[in-house]
Amino acid sequence: MSRVIPGLTAVSKSDLPVLLPFKPTPAATTRVNFSQWLASIPFWVPFMIFAAAFWPVHAFAQSNGFSLTQAFETLWRWIPFLLLHGFVFTVIISVLTMLLGTILGVFLGLGQISRNRFVRWCSYWITQIFRNSPWLVLLFIVMLSFPFQIDLFGLSIPVPDWTKAVIGLSLPVMANISEIVRGAIGSVPSAQWEAAESLAFSRRQTLFEIILPQCIKRMIPPWMNWYAILTMATPIVSILGVEEVLNLTRQAIEAENNRPELLIPFYGFVLLIFFVYCYPIARLTMWLERKYAVKL
Amino acid sequence: MKTVLAATTALMTCFSAVSATAAECSNEAWNRVMERGSIIVGVKADYKPWGYRSTDGELVGMEIDMAKDVADKMGVELELVPVQSSNRMQFLEQGKIDLMIATMSDRADRREIVGIVGPNYYTSGTNLLAPKPLKLTDWEQLRDKPVCGKQGAFYNQIVEERYGAKIIAFAGNAEAKQALRDKKCIGFVYDDSSIMADLASGDWDEFEMPMKTEDDNPWALAVPKDERNCVFGRFMSGMQYNWHKDGTLVELEKKWGIQPTAYLAGQQDRFKDWLSK
Repeated sequence: MSRVIPGLTAVSKSDLPVLLPFKPTPAATTRVNFSQWLASIPFWVPFMIFAAAFWPVHAFAQSNGFSLTQAFETLWRWIPFLLLHGFVFTVIISVLTMLLGTILGVFLGLGQISRNRFVRWCSYWITQIFRNSPWLVLLFIVMLSFPFQIDLFGLSIPVPDWTKAVIGLSLPVMANISEIVRGAIGSVPSAQWEAAESLAFSRRQTLFEIILPQCIKRMIPPWMNWYAILTMATPIVSILGVEEVLNLTRQAIEAENNRPELLIPFYGFVLLIFFVYCYPIARLTMWLERKYAVKL
Repeated sequence: MKTVLAATTALMTCFSAVSATAAECSNEAWNRVMERGSIIVGVKADYKPWGYRSTDGELVGMEIDMAKDVADKMGVELELVPVQSSNRMQFLEQGKIDLMIATMSDRADRREIVGIVGPNYYTSGTNLLAPKPLKLTDWEQLRDKPVCGKQGAFYNQIVEERYGAKIIAFAGNAEAKQALRDKKCIGFVYDDSSIMADLASGDWDEFEMPMKTEDDNPWALAVPKDERNCVFGRFMSGMQYNWHKDGTLVELEKKWGIQPTAYLAGQQDRFKDWLSK
C-alpha cells in the first residue's frame, strides 16, 4: 500500500475548511441582453444601411426609368400616413400590451412565491407554458378563439382585431414579467425577511413595505428590455391582418403599382423608425442598469 | 295548473315561431344594416385599382365606388373594412361585415360558404408575366420550373397540379415581382388584367404575357349565406344587373384605368333594355 500524496498521486483535495474563490453570479434580474445588443449599435449604422439601401434603386434606374429621386419622392409622400396611421398604432399596441402584461405578470409573479402550494404550482406552470410558447402560435390561438363581438345583456361590444392582438401578445409578456418579479424578490437577501420577522412585521407587510420597494428599482431595466423586445415583435400581428405599420407599408407599395424598386426603401424606412423608437429605450435601460447595479 | 299551461303554450309558440322563421327569410343582415343606418362593406386594401389606399390613407378603387353606390341606393352610411383573401369569407360568416366586394373569384366551393349572387360584375383569367428572352409559348413548358405567385390565389394550385410548375408564393405582388427580376423564378402567375396593366405601364419592357389565358373566372360579390335568396341577395342581384345595363361598370373600368374587357362590353349588350335605342 503506497502512500497517497494529494497533488502528486491523487487529485489535490482537502477536507479542511477552505475559502473558495469568489465568483460573482449575475443577479436574476440583470438579463437585459437585447437592450445590451441594441444599445451597442452605434446610432448611425441603421441610417447608413438605409442610405445604402437606395443604391440598388440607383443601379436599376438605367434599365427602367424609375430613378432614385422618384423612389424618395414616393416614400416622402407616404411618410405621414405610415407614421401617423401605422407607427402610432404600433406604439399604442405595444404600450397597451405592456400594461396588460405587467399587471397580469405581477400577480403571476407574486403567485409564484405564494405560501399556498397549489397557487405556487399553478403560477409556475402558467409562467413556464407562456414563456416557452412561440408568440405567433399564441397569437393565432387568441385570434381564432375570440369572437369579433361580445353580447352582454343585449349590448354588443365589438372586439376589433387589434384588441385580440394585444391580448395575444400580452400572454408571453405576462409570463416574462412574472419571472422578473419572482427573480427580483429572490434577489433581495433573505436575511431581510428574517430581520423583518424579528421586528414583528407580518408577511404581507414585509413583502409590500420592505421587499417590493427594493425590487422595483431592480425590475425597471429588465422590464424596459422586455418593452423593447415587445415593440420589435409587434409586426408579427400584420400576419393576422391587423392594420399596423408593416401591413400599411405593403398597402402603400401596392398603391404605387408594386414597383420592386420600392421594396427596400419602404421596408428600410420601417426598420429606421423602429430603431429610432427603440434605441433610446435601450440606451436608457443600459444606463439605469449601470446606475442600479452598484447599489445593494 | 293554469300558469303551467300558459307557460307551456307560450314556450310552444316561441319554438314554432323560431322554426317557422328558420325556413323562411329572417333578413337579419338587411334589417341590421337598416337599423344601424350604415352598411359595413369588406373591400381590398391591397389590390390596385380595385381597392387600395390613397396617400392620406383613404380606401379608394373601383370596388369602393361600387360599395358607395350600394350604400346610396339603400340610403345608409358606408363603412369600409379592409379584408384579405384569407379572411374575407370568415368576416362575412361572422357578421363582421354585411357585404363583401373583394375581388373574389366565383368558385363552387365558395358558394357553400357565402351567399354569392349574380350576375357577376367582372371576370379575369390566369396568365404569366415572363421575360421575353425565355420565349415561352405554352403552359407545359413550366413543368418542374420555379414559378412565382401570390399567396391565396386559387390558380396557384391549378398551375401546380395541371402543369407541374413549382409555385413559390409571396405575401405581396412587389415581392413576387422582385423575385422574378432576381431570376428566382421563370414567370409570375397572376390575373391577366393586372399583368396587362403592368405591361402597359412601360416598366416591364423586357417582359411579356406569352400564354393563352386560362381558367377565365367570373368575380363575385357576396352577402351572408342565409340572405342569398332573401331581400339582401335579390337587391344585390338587382344592383349588379343595373350596373351592367346602364354601363356603370364599363365607365368605372375606364375611370380606374383597367384594360377594357370583352366580358363587360358583352354583358352590357346582353342586359340592354329592349326599348332603348
